[in-house]
Amino acid sequence: MANEVKKMRKDAYNCEECVIVPPADIYETAEEYVIKADMPGTRREDLEITLEKNRLDIYGRVDEALTNEENLKYGEYRLNNYHRAFVVGDGIDREKINATLENGVLTLTLPKSEKLKPRRIEIKTEA
Amino acid sequence: MYTTYDVFDEMVNLRDLVDRFFTEAPALRRNVEYPYVNLRENNDEVVVTAVLPGVKADSLEILLEDASLLLEGEKKSDVQDKPYIRKERAFGKFKKAVKLPYRVDGDKIEAGLKDGILTVKLAKAEEARPKKIEIR
Repeated sequence: MANEVKKMRKDAYNCEECVIVPPADIYETAEEYVIKADMPGTRREDLEITLEKNRLDIYGRVDEALTNEENLKYGEYRLNNYHRAFVVGDGIDREKINATLENGVLTLTLPKSEKLKPRRIEIKTEA
Repeated sequence: MYTTYDVFDEMVNLRDLVDRFFTEAPALRRNVEYPYVNLRENNDEVVVTAVLPGVKADSLEILLEDASLLLEGEKKSDVQDKPYIRKERAFGKFKKAVKLPYRVDGDKIEAGLKDGILTVKLAKAEEARPKKIEIR
């Protein structure tokens, strides 16, 4: 029975479809929204970001060399592919979305469209 | 020698089994210190990897002390003075010792930091290798 439990656990945590939901910070400035996500092990070419309708999907593939557990003697973490989805509003300038990946941290900037940016309202004074 | 059968032993065993199922899963074991490390062993080499997203090489220090590897550094905060919609990432200083399975050669250590993953390769020390003893 101990072996069966071991196998169950192996299946539950080693599944290929399993993904890690990366922790993310989102902040807002007058011009843009910025998303920062910790995705260690993902390279630039393994990153896929799609925006379809109002759904922003971030996929990060992690190389098999980092996820396999060959010769593992002691383990505290397990890497896997990353996936996180956000719902974005209409006020995003879709053409100007920018993404950078540095030291395993993804920075995604979503500029606000012109109509959403704060603007100064001129007060006309009657002369 | 004989043993007596105790039905309660079986029940305790079952409970332990269930407990182990939930606590031994690496993804759930969160009482370990940051950063999380994995240790691999192949032939005469130990490879220690650690997940360190957002940590730059110049804010990380690796020391070899006896048969332990010390990782010390800081994940510098990139928090802006802006309104946050979501805040899930953690920052701060860390210090952790990783016990190595045997003594390593201090001159043959390779360390690399790539995509937020630290890899330290350590070769087994000469004195830790098995030695054949002649019988006279």
